[in-house]
Amino acid sequence: MKCIRCLSGEAAVVATAPDGSGAWEIYKCGRCNFGWRNTEPAKLLDPANRDPFFQLDKVDIDKLITPCPIPPLHR
Amino acid sequence: MFKDLRQFLEKLEKEGQLVQYTDEVMPEPDIRAISRAAADMGATGPAVIINKIKGYGNKKIAVNVHGSWANHALMMGMPKTTSLKEQFFELARRWDSYPGEVRWVDNPPCQEVVLDSFNLLELLPMYKVNEHDGGFYLSKASVVSKDPEDPDNFDKENVGIYRLQVQDADTIAMQGLPFHDIAIHMRKAEERGEALPVAICIGVDPMLSFMASTPIAYDQSEYKYTAAINGIPMELAKTTTGFLDVPAGAEYVLEGEILPRVRVCEGPFGEFPGSYSGARKQVVIKIKRVTHRRDPIFENLYLGRPWTEIDTLLGLNTCIPIYKQLRETMPEVKAVNALYQHGLTVIISTESRLGGYAKSVAFRAASTPHGISYVKNIILVDADVDPFDLVQVMWAMSTRLRGEKDVIVIPNTPGMPLDPGSEPPGMGSKIILDCTTPVAPEPKMRDVKMVDLIPEAIAFQKKLTQMHQALGAVS
Repeated sequence: MKCIRCLSGEAAVVATAPDGSGAWEIYKCGRCNFGWRNTEPAKLLDPANRDPFFQLDKVDIDKLITPCPIPPLHR
Repeated sequence: MFKDLRQFLEKLEKEGQLVQYTDEVMPEPDIRAISRAAADMGATGPAVIINKIKGYGNKKIAVNVHGSWANHALMMGMPKTTSLKEQFFELARRWDSYPGEVRWVDNPPCQEVVLDSFNLLELLPMYKVNEHDGGFYLSKASVVSKDPEDPDNFDKENVGIYRLQVQDADTIAMQGLPFHDIAIHMRKAEERGEALPVAICIGVDPMLSFMASTPIAYDQSEYKYTAAINGIPMELAKTTTGFLDVPAGAEYVLEGEILPRVRVCEGPFGEFPGSYSGARKQVVIKIKRVTHRRDPIFENLYLGRPWTEIDTLLGLNTCIPIYKQLRETMPEVKAVNALYQHGLTVIISTESRLGGYAKSVAFRAASTPHGISYVKNIILVDADVDPFDLVQVMWAMSTRLRGEKDVIVIPNTPGMPLDPGSEPPGMGSKIILDCTTPVAPEPKMRDVKMVDLIPEAIAFQKKLTQMHQALGAVS
């Protein structure tokens, strides 16, 4: 399914309401790791209405800042 | 004081500082709205236990546990009306009793239930802390790790609170920043190509959460500090792997490891300066086993636009290390208020040994280990000004600050990356506002006489307070 944050087709269900009520589902994107629940406020769930500041569709994930870079291996 | 979270929650309830919220709520946006509301109730606000969350059955969440100075005083074993200044001095006194006693127990409550099959997003009542967060975060979990080069050194075992994005059933991304102790452990493990075992502890005794968010030395033990300040031994248990030490009374323990030499997309997250920090590449943890108490209580923390629970939690434990370090060479320092965003703005009360002394106090504060990147705006006040009383601080600024000589800006200093004013992230500047009275040989600007304090007022205040309370006044 489509990720609402980066618009990739790599999102999938990762959790459902544990009381068996079917009250909600949680999805996660395989590209950007965004997680969301289908009962969050509606304005956040529609990609067209989300704040463009937070969207990651035009961002190269691999070029994001890495606060703790991988150090060289000591052999 | 309290050996686990449950004992503290009982105390809060007895003192009228805990609200049991029993109406059903939605995970979003209700839990953060309740947390925000509790924070906005101010210095006497209650903790809240949310008892019914749609889809999560009977799982319970405790929020705002550290959220007010009243709760903070109770955590210290002091009356809930204790002033901030009194709590500061009591904490400074107990700080010197490090190290306290730790002891290990068998059959710990944190291992009453052991799960090898689980989905973290269903087991824990997770929710979005802020609406634009990148996912579902643990914001108050203590992460335990050891130094891979010195695993038998108990004092180098680290307990720290870092933000944790629970991404799926068994995967958590974590932000450790280079100046955090866990980053040292991570680097050493990754240089060897090894995984770093970790234990993530949720719902621990409030003094451990307090110490886990305090900047102490790399080889000082958060467990021994907790015991020292609590005045009771810290009870620990070995993880089921036998490698790490966890609080015996923790509500949940997630046992796993940081995968070596992997980075994943994590964030953003609404952070304590009140702004979102962006999406980043961070380390990833695989959880292999979960243990928990029967009927566990999940605990989390709201952070965002100050003042929130995190400001109280990070409050006095930012002040004390700076205070102690200043007084090593500057005994004239009376008190340090570093409450504002983990020490970005600091107010220091000091006597002046000689002309210009207050500025030297500022330089020292700005070069303490925490101060290097955090201490940014430094306000100096005289010894007769309480730095925790902002009315007095503003008075000092109004009458003792002269812009042409008392305001110094130092450009191009280290900055704190989460400060939205630090650009590029990690660079900044510092400003000193000297609101102290000139001392010889600096000339006095004008010779004035201060209006004296009135000692007779103290006895009258006691009497008037009793009379006021008898009228049914709120204390």
